[in-house]
Amino acid sequence: MKKKMRNRFGALIAGFGCLACAVLLPMQALASDGSSYVYDGYTYDFYGNAKESPAMFQLERTISAENMNGVALSSVDDVCTSKDGRIFTIDTTESRMNVFDVGGNLLFTTKLVRTVDGAIALDENGNQIMLNAPEGVFVHEKEQEIYIADTGNKRIVVLDLATYGLLRIINAPEELAGVTQFVPSKIAVDLADRIYVVVQSSYEGILELTRDGEFSGYYGVNTPMVSLTDYFWKSIASDEQKAQMAKVYAPAFNNITLDGEGFVMAVTYDSSAADMVFRLNSKGENVLRMEGNTPVIGDVWNLSSTDAGSQFVDIAVTDFGTYALLDRNKGRIFLYNFDGELLNAFGSRGNLKGEFKSPTSIAWLGDRLVITDDILNYIYILTPTAFGRAVLEGNESYYFGDWDSALVSFKQALDLNANYEAAYSGIGKNYLMKEDYKTAMYYFKMGNNRVFYSKAYNGFRGEWLESHFAIIMILFIILVAAVIGSEVRYHKQSKVKAKAAVAILNSRQGRAEEE
Amino acid sequence: MKETMKEKLFYLGRAICHPFDAFYEIRFRGKGSAGLAVLILLVFGVLQCVSYQYTGFIINTNDLASMNSISIFLTWVLGLVLFIVSNWSVTTLLNGKGNMTDILTVVSYSLVPVTCTLIFQVFASNFIIAEEAMIVYVITGVGFVWTIFMLLAGLCVIHEYGFGKTVVSIFLTFVAAAIIMFLGILFFTLIEQMVLFIVSVGREFMRRL
Repeated sequence: MKKKMRNRFGALIAGFGCLACAVLLPMQALASDGSSYVYDGYTYDFYGNAKESPAMFQLERTISAENMNGVALSSVDDVCTSKDGRIFTIDTTESRMNVFDVGGNLLFTTKLVRTVDGAIALDENGNQIMLNAPEGVFVHEKEQEIYIADTGNKRIVVLDLATYGLLRIINAPEELAGVTQFVPSKIAVDLADRIYVVVQSSYEGILELTRDGEFSGYYGVNTPMVSLTDYFWKSIASDEQKAQMAKVYAPAFNNITLDGEGFVMAVTYDSSAADMVFRLNSKGENVLRMEGNTPVIGDVWNLSSTDAGSQFVDIAVTDFGTYALLDRNKGRIFLYNFDGELLNAFGSRGNLKGEFKSPTSIAWLGDRLVITDDILNYIYILTPTAFGRAVLEGNESYYFGDWDSALVSFKQALDLNANYEAAYSGIGKNYLMKEDYKTAMYYFKMGNNRVFYSKAYNGFRGEWLESHFAIIMILFIILVAAVIGSEVRYHKQSKVKAKAAVAILNSRQGRAEEE
Repeated sequence: MKETMKEKLFYLGRAICHPFDAFYEIRFRGKGSAGLAVLILLVFGVLQCVSYQYTGFIINTNDLASMNSISIFLTWVLGLVLFIVSNWSVTTLLNGKGNMTDILTVVSYSLVPVTCTLIFQVFASNFIIAEEAMIVYVITGVGFVWTIFMLLAGLCVIHEYGFGKTVVSIFLTFVAAAIIMFLGILFFTLIEQMVLFIVSVGREFMRRL
């Protein structure tokens, strides 16, 4: 008994230990072979408990001032990659765009923009075109162009992707409506060549320009959260009081990118925004899927945590809809699939190898992740671990409808992490697609996925009813027959009784008459 | 004996259909049964444990790995006992005519509809899909409303209150329950400190010997 008690106590202590780990999530620098840095990952289960998990990525290499061949590197503020493996970064402090390859070799660096022929480019006033505190860069693969948000000069510079020569300059559109100043910070260009420009602190939305740089409207709805107390005071205030109250403005979008289907995806770190991550449809509404066990908010809030939530500075999307969110608050990277299921979270802030100080931007480079930091002035290149590769391949196969290989990948992921709800529900989805309902139900139960469990159960129940149709019909017919039979018998009996009663009455009457 | 049991079960059924009449009979003609009431209370507690675990997966969001059936049972049963005790203490001050047995009978008998729908919920939720969950919720809701209605009617009758006074007394019941809980916690904390003091004095004493 006593031993049992001690065991239980031990389990309790272990439980508290796990909880403490989950809350603190200490990051150990496990440089096993000296070259790679292994992060500690975690996910959240259905009940909002942090569950330890292998990290999906490990550090492959960092690119820093050492790789710059003597050119100054003072900050790294935005990153974008091209399909051929080049990494484009923006140095706001030095007003430079630096281009690296995957190995960290500097391919090109520019501050002074040149023409395609290599001559110094001049603007209409005859001045040299120098970048001035640019903040964003975007590679438009379709037209082979590089878009640089030249924030200090309030213009967009478009370069050729191959020669880095100047193609054109987009200045502030003349017919710009609203109060937003044309101070481009982040850029994305979609497959129809529409240019989306994020202006930090603009409450009117994302600026949408045509390819020629004409203003075509504001885009995207970022609804602010209104607290109940505000609502109460507003509801009882007079018109004069309302006029004096601080207006609730829509929060600004802080970063954008495009997903594989050409939708604009945006993030905001304004704490007054109702959503943190957006997938905007053509009307500018948020159509982000949130079918996972936790909402797409990064770290889940719970009673035991006192710290602030995640603040996403950037988002990077793969062709198969899996996206990575960069949390500047705690230096974490959150990976979600297109259904909004949390795949993995890892990373931390600190001074150790692989840790971030002030992460600014994230991009996919094939299946690698590129992350920048503007205090440490590092570009981190992360490569997937065996676990990460299995999860990414599983989600890619599932997205493109290749159920069998998705199953194999998710089973691999489960071998490496048996607590992984996303893999259980991924396997379940594949069995569901193959109409193996019973197995699908098992996996959805393990993955705590009630929505899909219901779908699988619906199929299972339908099959059961079909296969037992004969018995059910026979039982039903017997029941109906029994009801009708008893009714008929009842009526017969009552008729007999009525006859008997009439007979008795008649005999009584007869007796009375006789008397 | 058998006859009286049958009669008591009859009045339990009548309380569900005609709460005012039946609770009047129970209060003034002794047709209620405290034993039956306690039994219903215990069955209700057990059923809460059952529903925690066996409600169908689709509408069951409980973490079964950390389930503690004793805690669930005691939470429900002691919660209801606390309600009964604090209702008695409040209504005694407010000229209520019902005694403790009456209140116990009313509260327990009122639980019957919600118990029935709970059984239905546990059974039916294993054979539904998410879209049909609403049907189960509606039926459970009907049972809950019925229970509340029976409780109000019963407390009206046994305390000889009007509707308004019953509602006020129920509100005050919750206040009283909070006070009782506060006193209980205070009592146990003080006792714990006292015991600790005695133990440490004893320990000190043993060391000096």
